[in-house]
Amino acid sequence: MKSTTQNQTYTRSMAFHVPVNSQPQSVSKWLLLIGLILSVYMLTLQPVMAHGEKNLEPYVRMRTIQWYDVQWSKQKFNVNEEVTVTGKFHVAEDWPISVPKPDAAFLNISTPGPVLIRTERYLNGKPFMNSVALLPGGDYDFKVVLKGRLPGHYHIHPFFNLRDAGQVMGPGAWLDITGNEADFSNNVQTINGEMIDMETYGLSNGIFWHSFWALLGTAWLLWWVRRPLFIARYRMLQAGLENELITPLDRNIGKAILIGVPVLVLVFYTITVNKYPKAIPLQTSLDQILPLPAKVNAGVVEVETLRAEYRIPERSMKLSLKIKNGSDKPIQIGEFATGSVRFLNKVVPEPDQSNTESVVAAEGLSLDNLTPIQPGEQRTVLLTAGDALWESERLDGLINDADSRIGGLLFFFDPDGERYISSITSAVIPKFN
Amino acid sequence: MSANLSNRIFRPYTGEKARIARAYDYLVLVLALFLFIGSFHLHFALTVGDWDFWVDWKDRQWWPAVTPLMGITFPAAVQAVLWTNFRLPLGATLCVACLSIGTWIARIFAYHMWNYFPINMVLPSTLLPSALVLDAVLMMSNSLTVTAIFGGSAFALLFYPSNWPIFGMFHVPVEAGNSQMTVADMFGFQYIRTGMPEYLRIIERGTLRTYGQVAAPLSAFFSALLSTLMYALWWFIGKWFATTRYLKRI
Repeated sequence: MKSTTQNQTYTRSMAFHVPVNSQPQSVSKWLLLIGLILSVYMLTLQPVMAHGEKNLEPYVRMRTIQWYDVQWSKQKFNVNEEVTVTGKFHVAEDWPISVPKPDAAFLNISTPGPVLIRTERYLNGKPFMNSVALLPGGDYDFKVVLKGRLPGHYHIHPFFNLRDAGQVMGPGAWLDITGNEADFSNNVQTINGEMIDMETYGLSNGIFWHSFWALLGTAWLLWWVRRPLFIARYRMLQAGLENELITPLDRNIGKAILIGVPVLVLVFYTITVNKYPKAIPLQTSLDQILPLPAKVNAGVVEVETLRAEYRIPERSMKLSLKIKNGSDKPIQIGEFATGSVRFLNKVVPEPDQSNTESVVAAEGLSLDNLTPIQPGEQRTVLLTAGDALWESERLDGLINDADSRIGGLLFFFDPDGERYISSITSAVIPKFN
Repeated sequence: MSANLSNRIFRPYTGEKARIARAYDYLVLVLALFLFIGSFHLHFALTVGDWDFWVDWKDRQWWPAVTPLMGITFPAAVQAVLWTNFRLPLGATLCVACLSIGTWIARIFAYHMWNYFPINMVLPSTLLPSALVLDAVLMMSNSLTVTAIFGGSAFALLFYPSNWPIFGMFHVPVEAGNSQMTVADMFGFQYIRTGMPEYLRIIERGTLRTYGQVAAPLSAFFSALLSTLMYALWWFIGKWFATTRYLKRI
């Protein structure tokens, strides 16, 4: 009784008076506080909708795949409905030395999983199913047909996977897929004329064979697990009773497995070979599609970049350009595009050929001389592309790149709306003040 | 003679001792189940990887070479422990069964429910027939050498034919985009994988294609040769890691 009272007193004092025990309480309070802060923080989290498009080094975005005129046929559609994305791109001549040449590239679509399926894909009007080799300096147009699979609100880009280089994103768009997921169907016709449902094809067959072998495997495991296992068998083995651990029946079953399993495997294999006599190996190839006749640097308007300066405080790129107008009409610079950012000249009305969420500086382009360049005239022009987008799109990072050169496309327009495109490239000189 | 002597002095556990020993069996089995589901599945995902993940990676050359070679590792190590100390010929089947459980969980929850891929596009392969034969060879031969040579070879050689009933139908030809493809290739084209461009697939690359259209058997025999070596290597890894010092105190 005495000892119980002592214990109670001891416990109380430990709980309320002894400093050693107050430590866990304060730790608990801190943990509670941290937990509360984390809980509030978690409530504010939003799903990530980006695809790392700003993460790639600026010189890769500016001087590899130069996208323009990217269009979606529609941005709201139902499950099973088709949507088409079309566009053009120029493969930069001034390809970065640290990026492998685009000998194998794959025109892809950035999606959060297969919420759409790709049913057709064309490059320069030719269908292609595999990877493709691109030529620096080449011009291409593309078309990808997609079909809605899972309802939702998604941010989607066309983009290129470049072998050993990474992903170069094209302009993105928000797509809304409506309807019911269960309505989705994807039927493909085999070369024999059989229609198959890609969503379920081979699934029950796969489950059957996995179950069949799992049944045999489980039977084998249970055959052993039903007996005393580790301690008992270890003791018997140490006592020299090895022969009793593997019985004659075990050996007979072992023989049955040694003969039966390979025989079953070969029988099932032969049945399958006979069932699918036209099975072919997986197909892989590198498609060869030649570029279009030149769309960029087509020889009408010639541009030479004399100097490029990036003024850090002003967030502006100043380009000194020697331009020769070889057309028969006066031309004006309407747009400079680089790394999927478009700097527009507000005095030159431009028909918008893109309905993607291009990152646009609507008044970001200015010239030292607004007078149109006359036919046959050669003029040196100082072009300024200035906007905070250089910073927010993380293109100003090129001053920290090992390869700090710029590349982009200049869009010229004549009074009739005819468009001429030239690519520019130059080393960039940073101006810190 | 020694066995007879041992027979005379050996007293099997009875009563409470036997019940505790049995409880210990179940405890170890449950722990082993979770351990191998996690560790073997992780090992397999990191080494065989895409060849097992995707139906359009399962080619005639690399898939039957890489899969058994990496798949025989844990079975060999666990056989070393279970056979040497307990004469239990179930190490390979146990490991591969755990691998199958882990793989199916990942395919259903991670690939299908989380990332929306149809399950038939990510059907796993099976190594269970190979594992059964490997266990049987060890039990019948009671020899590391024989199991490595004949069991290891059988493990690799049985892999391709035992999986053809599952995947053969995915090799039916389809005409699409002016080219011939298999149904498996169509999965790769249609069901968009942002991080998996077509050129990443390692399909029949290498000089083995010099032998024309018999890539699969050649690849299987190549894998069989390597699997015999891999089996022996992992047997010793298993023995090196395993200990029975706690059992000796009982």
